[in-house]
Amino acid sequence: MNPAKNFEHLFSPLGEPGNFKSLGVVTFLRSPQIDMETDALKNSGARFAFMGVPYDEGNVGKPGSEEGPQAFRVASHEYFPYWFEYQVDLAGTSVDCGNVRVPKVMPELAHDRIYRAVRTVLASGVTPIICGGDRSISISAAKALSDHIGEDKKLGYMHFGAHLEMADSWAGEKMAAPCTFARVSELPNVNTANMAHVGARNSMNPKDHVELAKKRGIRFHSMDEVLDRGIQSTVNEAADQVWNGTDAQYLSFNMNILDASAAPGVTAAEPGGFESREMMQTATLLGHRGSVSLIEISELAPVFDVSGTTAKLAACIVLRLMASMAKQRGEFVDQGIRRSDLRG
Amino acid sequence: MSHNGQYTWEFVPHQHRGPAAQSGKDDHIHSPIRHNGAFKSRGLATFMGAPYCPPDRKAVREMGARVCFLGVPWDQGQMVRAGTSQGPSGIREASTQYSPYMFEFDVDLMTFFRPVDCGDIPIVPGNNERSHEYIYQYVTECLEGGAKVILCGGDHSVPIPGSRALSDFHRNGTIGYLHVDCHLDSAPDWEGSPYTNCSGPARAFDLPNCHGRNMAHMCSRNGLNPKDWVDFWIDNNVRMVPMQEVVDRGIEACTREIFDLAWDGTDAVYWSWDTDSLDASCMPGTTAPETFGLKPREAIQHARIAGTYGADIFEISELTPHFDVSDMSIKLACCMVYQYLGSRAKTLRDQGKAP
Repeated sequence: MNPAKNFEHLFSPLGEPGNFKSLGVVTFLRSPQIDMETDALKNSGARFAFMGVPYDEGNVGKPGSEEGPQAFRVASHEYFPYWFEYQVDLAGTSVDCGNVRVPKVMPELAHDRIYRAVRTVLASGVTPIICGGDRSISISAAKALSDHIGEDKKLGYMHFGAHLEMADSWAGEKMAAPCTFARVSELPNVNTANMAHVGARNSMNPKDHVELAKKRGIRFHSMDEVLDRGIQSTVNEAADQVWNGTDAQYLSFNMNILDASAAPGVTAAEPGGFESREMMQTATLLGHRGSVSLIEISELAPVFDVSGTTAKLAACIVLRLMASMAKQRGEFVDQGIRRSDLRG
Repeated sequence: MSHNGQYTWEFVPHQHRGPAAQSGKDDHIHSPIRHNGAFKSRGLATFMGAPYCPPDRKAVREMGARVCFLGVPWDQGQMVRAGTSQGPSGIREASTQYSPYMFEFDVDLMTFFRPVDCGDIPIVPGNNERSHEYIYQYVTECLEGGAKVILCGGDHSVPIPGSRALSDFHRNGTIGYLHVDCHLDSAPDWEGSPYTNCSGPARAFDLPNCHGRNMAHMCSRNGLNPKDWVDFWIDNNVRMVPMQEVVDRGIEACTREIFDLAWDGTDAVYWSWDTDSLDASCMPGTTAPETFGLKPREAIQHARIAGTYGADIFEISELTPHFDVSDMSIKLACCMVYQYLGSRAKTLRDQGKAP
């Protein structure tokens, strides 16, 4: 990372290249925009590749998550690459591959493109950060990761959200958002013992979802359990399920894991969820695992947002996760570095 | 400023004048008798419904005001979203929904502090230096008039002239400086400008009688804290309490620690409170709402503890009503001021002191 050893980006701007507000091309964390193409990704030297998936046709409630990726990118511009809590520098760690080209009212084609895009990034050895879009994008993204590692490897899958999404089908459809967790549990190299669901609550969890989860032996940590046991104990146990004995790990966040007061800008804002500081603690704890194979954020719906707070929270989750992983790997910024015009 | 008449402090909101006038002098601490008071009939809203006082030292002194409210509609010192110039009118509007009587402290803020609203400081669009000079002058008038100041911004460059005014007012002594904010705001400069909302504590540190040992920061978090800002606190050995430490140790211990530092051997304290120290979930109406912040109950506790120490200038910044939702942000900011003043009044009363 950062082969030029230039550290100006850690500090307040000195007048060049421009004002903090002059965004230019809006990309994830002001990172370079490159084609979603294997060689370009390999040559970038990036660890993470951000891609937007403006698809919300798997949604069964309020629409609006197709605007999620752009709001996420704009929110990321209000952060620096330097994170003082972790003493790490995220500059140079990521590229932005733009958005997957999603067609209208052709869900099979949309899912095929999502699948191919994720395969392309994975094939280049870069970790995808996928920003939806609705939850159903996970069906194709998880299949891509599953196929990428191959049948002889084990895949763990972790999800934070208010809904179990264990519908075998929804109105006869197999690829709708409420079927997501069920579809992932059917992947050939996913043992359901390596699947963890955290934060289920309230009444958008029909009885067949709970029954199918039990039948397939899926351990879900409901919000009641989180409140009883606390964040650290629950998240660490859930992460152990996903990371222990697996070769790859899929980490996904539905923004409705958060309480509606912290995240109004989601398709199905739900009371009784995580407070923002609990989410930050979660991101830090997950970062202790050091690495992850894929990060997904879904159901961010800017049209319902208030003062941009939900988009910023979504960006903060991903950046804290990246920062915590970098810290875990010991990738610290030399604390002796000082602003160029202030060096004594 | 010159004037001919005598200034007298009299609490008669405009709603209480005219044919429907209420008469009893303590009517304002009870339910309304003849009409709804300021609750819907806002009219000329002053902070807390307090009397207007010209921002003039003689007037402040003659009216016996112990607290002056000053608005600073200045938002061109900031580098994120604009809009905080509307903060003072937002907090005045929110104050119409509160009574000056606070049952938690059994105190009538109105008669205890004889507060006045000195209006808004004039600003010069596009000119930070001249605007800051006006802020300096108006704050100085209130301090010279013998009052404490509630300084409502406006962006977080406001403490630069505000703390300079307090420093000069106590030029023969020393002052403490507290910065409660999600951002460390300690840029030596931002793109060459030393007077943006990124440099409050850095400029306070430059003051001749404000020492690092009497300064502190609290609630810092997340990725809008470039490294030179962090370096400032470390290199100058100034106390910085990150948000994670507030979560770990609790709001009370951290608040007491910073106020103890600020008051250790000093003659006055400047307390700068940025609304983005609060979590975005309860403070959307701020220029840069930030997650992982204080909850309202913690902020209220912070204000009450602050009231047991006191501050010569309590500044509120970055309040931005047009990003607000259902007035929750302006009301919370207003509530912070009331809780601080209520706690301050109780503390002084218990000590047998006048404000």
